[in-house]
Amino acid sequence: MLYPGKAVKVTIYLSEGATHHGASVYSSILDFLFYRGVAGATVTKGIAGFGADHHMHSSSTVDISDHLPLKIEFIDAREKVDSLLGKLEELTGSGLIEVQETTVAKPAQVSNPKKTIPPSHLKMEGKAQMMRIFVSEEDRWKNKPLHEALVEAMRANDIAGVTVYRGILGYGAHRRLHKDKPLLSTHHGSVMLSAVDTAQKLRDFLPLVDQMVEEGLVVFSEVDIIKYAYKSLDDGEQMATPPTGNSTA
Amino acid sequence: MKEAFSARMLRIHFGEDDRWQGKPLHEAILAKCKDLNIAEAIVFRGIEGYGAGSRIRRSRLFSKDAPIQISIIDTEEQIAKLIPFLDSVVEEGLVASSAVEIIRYSRVSIPPTAR
Repeated sequence: MLYPGKAVKVTIYLSEGATHHGASVYSSILDFLFYRGVAGATVTKGIAGFGADHHMHSSSTVDISDHLPLKIEFIDAREKVDSLLGKLEELTGSGLIEVQETTVAKPAQVSNPKKTIPPSHLKMEGKAQMMRIFVSEEDRWKNKPLHEALVEAMRANDIAGVTVYRGILGYGAHRRLHKDKPLLSTHHGSVMLSAVDTAQKLRDFLPLVDQMVEEGLVVFSEVDIIKYAYKSLDDGEQMATPPTGNSTA
Repeated sequence: MKEAFSARMLRIHFGEDDRWQGKPLHEAILAKCKDLNIAEAIVFRGIEGYGAGSRIRRSRLFSKDAPIQISIIDTEEQIAKLIPFLDSVVEEGLVASSAVEIIRYSRVSIPPTAR
């Protein structure tokens, strides 16, 4: 939430084709800013430019046109920006981040102010919790499939890992039988998201689930993590792999 | 509407070509769950797996023996009603049971008896 007065403007310069864990960097950053409750952010596409490598990238060179410069800008309070910078540096990779003092003359109007989610620490132990969310595949949230929105939200909140499973048959709260029909392009199946992290992190994430899931079931169970490849954010890795196969839940 | 309570979750593992009275076993189990008004049941098809007998289950062009897992969630009493049926229909397979905490979101309020 922005107020008139002193604020900080952050500008991130990166290349259009840059990827982070398989997704394009700008969309990862935009998702991160969105789910962390930043007041607003804009991505601008450049038509030509050069960066640290001193290669000229322009839209006329077809073969390297995915290296065109992109600029992401957002404005928020100093404390908010400070809390985001660590993760942003990791996401930005080889790009450049500029921070400058600015003054907000008039903040944009907000129709329904969103709660901000505090940044959480990454620490995994042998005991953990598994959160399974059962929803319908056709459920939507803000014009995108609910299960996709939930995964993006979990990723932005540093939940260690989540997998979406599509059921071939099932029913839930609304008593309607879902059956996967392979010949139809639109699926109307049941889906299950299975996320693993510490109990605290999952509980902290729950208010967002409350907002996003209108109809569905959330199941918590204690699990012992037997094998867990995990690197902290400082090592430049973000996603951990949840245990596969049958958990001991 | 939001409700939170303790419950039990079953996960039943078997193969896709397992049958009961001529129809696929997972369809039979799901139909029974619906009869008993079990709150949530969902069938998953695995890509590959193995279980009882250490035979690798995998879906091929002409054989459909992918591993199947059914997750079933409801209160202890409701799950207890389902167990005798599972005993009689699952010939080769595995049932894992765990105590869970659940939160249910619904658009309309459902009286507890109609679950």
